[in-house]
Amino acid sequence: MESDSSFSQPDGSGAGGLVLGIDTGGTYTDGVLMEYESRRVLATHKSLTTKRDFSIGIEQVIDGIHIEDPAAIRMVSISTTLATNAIAEGKGKRVALFLVGYDPELLANFQMERRFATPQFYYFQGGHDLYGREKAELDLPGILAQVSKIRGQTDAIAVSSYFSPLNPDHENRAYKAIARVCDLPIVLGHQLSTKLGSVERATTAALNASLLAVLKDFVIAVRRAMERRHISAPLMVVRGDGTLMSDEFAARTPVETIHSGPAASAIGGRFLSGLDNALVVDVGGTTTDLALVLGGQVTVTTEGATVGEYKTSVQAANLLSIALGGDSHITYTREGQITVGPERVLPLAHLAADHPEVGKRLKALARRQWAQATPEWLEYWYLVREPPPGLAPTPHEEALVALLRGGPQPFPEILKALRVLHSGQLEVREFLRQEIVGKAGLTPTDLMHIAGTFSCWDAEAAGAALDVFAHNRWHEPPEVTAQIWGRITEMALHAIVTFLTGKRLPPPGAVEVDRDPGFGPWFFYNSVYHGHRDLDSELHLRHPIIGIGAPAGLFLGSVAGALHTELILPDHFEVANAVGAIAGTVMVTEEILVYPRMNEAGLEVIGYYSQTGEERCEFDEVGQALAHARAVSQQRALGGALRSGADNPQVVLEETVDGLDTYRIRAKAMGKPRLAR
Amino acid sequence: MEIQRVDTQRAYELILEKITTLELAPGAPINEQQLAAGFNTGLTPVQEALRLLEHEHLVRITPRHGVYVADVNLPDLEQISTLRLALESLAASLAAQHATADDLAVLDALRQQQMAADPADPRALFDIDQKFHQAIAAAAHNKYLAETLDHFFGLSLRFWYLVLPASREAPSPLGFLPGSVEKHLALVDAIRSHDAGAAESIMHAHVESFYNEVRLVLAPGK
Repeated sequence: MESDSSFSQPDGSGAGGLVLGIDTGGTYTDGVLMEYESRRVLATHKSLTTKRDFSIGIEQVIDGIHIEDPAAIRMVSISTTLATNAIAEGKGKRVALFLVGYDPELLANFQMERRFATPQFYYFQGGHDLYGREKAELDLPGILAQVSKIRGQTDAIAVSSYFSPLNPDHENRAYKAIARVCDLPIVLGHQLSTKLGSVERATTAALNASLLAVLKDFVIAVRRAMERRHISAPLMVVRGDGTLMSDEFAARTPVETIHSGPAASAIGGRFLSGLDNALVVDVGGTTTDLALVLGGQVTVTTEGATVGEYKTSVQAANLLSIALGGDSHITYTREGQITVGPERVLPLAHLAADHPEVGKRLKALARRQWAQATPEWLEYWYLVREPPPGLAPTPHEEALVALLRGGPQPFPEILKALRVLHSGQLEVREFLRQEIVGKAGLTPTDLMHIAGTFSCWDAEAAGAALDVFAHNRWHEPPEVTAQIWGRITEMALHAIVTFLTGKRLPPPGAVEVDRDPGFGPWFFYNSVYHGHRDLDSELHLRHPIIGIGAPAGLFLGSVAGALHTELILPDHFEVANAVGAIAGTVMVTEEILVYPRMNEAGLEVIGYYSQTGEERCEFDEVGQALAHARAVSQQRALGGALRSGADNPQVVLEETVDGLDTYRIRAKAMGKPRLAR
Repeated sequence: MEIQRVDTQRAYELILEKITTLELAPGAPINEQQLAAGFNTGLTPVQEALRLLEHEHLVRITPRHGVYVADVNLPDLEQISTLRLALESLAASLAAQHATADDLAVLDALRQQQMAADPADPRALFDIDQKFHQAIAAAAHNKYLAETLDHFFGLSLRFWYLVLPASREAPSPLGFLPGSVEKHLALVDAIRSHDAGAAESIMHAHVESFYNEVRLVLAPGK
């Protein structure tokens, strides 16, 4: 499926230069062509992401935009969920993680080893203490022997040494030595993070190492697509906090692209709406992502980004993602409550459009008596693709595939054909996980077809399915539709309230009115449903909501109403991600730690160190050390921003106290991307 | 230009590999279009890569006759070998004076790798040999020397691929590959005991035997 909306293009003369934004999502690749100075969107395009070779999807987007004069393009910027997906799907390269000066027993006792993001990790003697003093001698022969031992079993090496942000000496020595005995890429913890959390730093280094090849291939694919279309311009990549970095930088620090998709969509939403303060809600097929924009910037987490089960020390946008979207499965619980999600299924309207017999069966079902037409009959399973060779299918999986080759089947028929009584007895988990067999069911997208707000697929089949769903509970379809949207509103409100307050609230649907829920949940549910006879309560969001994504209008209208704020659906919101890719600023951060130098006994401060990534300077007084740190960090951030393609970058200094007499000086150089001439 | 760098770098590495492994034979003409198609890239990166390789004396670009792989000939061999003999020996001598414990750990590790390597896999052995020479250059702690040696080692690579088929047919007349294990052992010991003279002469003999063998292939009977 491809959609296309090209607008008139200026002849290029006198234009301030065109920029091309691309978002490579898990399903779609979106593109937008914009005139940079006037901020006018000239053309947009959506096409399917081609996972086997991203450049194909990217070239389709470039073709779909109909760029008349490729030479007029001054910058290409791209956001991608590639890194996030590669981690979630375990598709990164094999990494050996070398931990220097870590305490194996401690890590094993607290079961932290699972957090390292690689099963290959090795402990070595070495590391420093929190005053940057060598804790133990570095076991270099041990490290080198291990490198020889794992030859051919790993694709990259990550090294993290204890307290390396204070003293990277052991990491640097390990790097030099390892690089001389093998050709694998090597990643050092202190180059990625100046935070002191040793486990997060190790995880970040390991993830970065596993993603190096992934991002490098991606950058080459984009460059190639650009070259084939005669676009010669700088290429920028969006970071997880929405700022931009040059493609060369991205190829070295792929881990920084974690969450770049949602961050770009938040920035795009802000840009398209022109609002500086807003809650951005991106409603996708599978998830709804929340981000807060304040003062024109996407707020970032002080803690590192979490991806899958791994906690990193990467700076990323403060996001909340909930499993609610246009393709969330609508079902009843055993108690008869309506639930939406968390499972994502194919909308029935879509399945029926691909398989007309499904539509016929649904309509026949709607004419049956309610006792026979139970909601289980609305769940269809279908064959997504033939199982690839080399799998060892269970007997159930083999039977299931044979059955589904004849077309999609409703769930009760599958149970009957496989001779089991309930879903718990089915042994088909692997085929579902690998997307060989897919599920379809009633979704918000179907309701949108019935309402006529969305009309890609078979609305009649969706209507029949809703009839069955409603009649089974003795309700009329409009009544049930209202209940479903009520549930969706409640879920979205729940997410917004917990996201903004950081307070826990029992999950939606878990509060029963007749039990005493405590004041917090009572207040929330009273503000949503206004059930109390005497006391009413309301929630007021201080900012407007910017809605992004095709289902946003339907999902968020009543949410904004319940929060007494405005819902803004900017033009081109369907490609907000791609817009966000070009709307970001280039940013380079340089951090320096100033910390005391202790005497041998560790009792007396005899000076101060100013520790930049690679070098350490010593001073008698803390004032001198801080002055040095300020000057050096500013200078480095500025140089880095210029090299990364920032135009006239401005530097901001931040200073924080970090523990005992230790100071963190952070220089942030930011500027608009410099467009090629 | 900055924008082309990724593809240029890739093209450079691929063409360099083809030249050193003699897949592109010495003196052979180079078809830019064909290379570009083979790498699935544009013409520009290939041309830029070829210019870089010309700078390294591995490619000849003539205004009238196009692009050629540089020749391998005896005079070149003599000039390169003279220089490499002197510089490698110098590196070994300096390494004996300046090697740190970390440098020695690296040399030890490479020696272990060499002993564990499959003697029937000459490429693996050669790869280790190259790293060994680079590690000694690094242990000399003179970055200009290390850079210069790297360059000349690159030029010598093609000689090695010329010798390879010969040493396969008649299993090493001089036994220069397996023989280098003992030489490396002796060399590391000399560096560890700071014996600059011994390190220098072992290295000299080691490099000289290599070029003798190449000379036999390039000019048999001389």
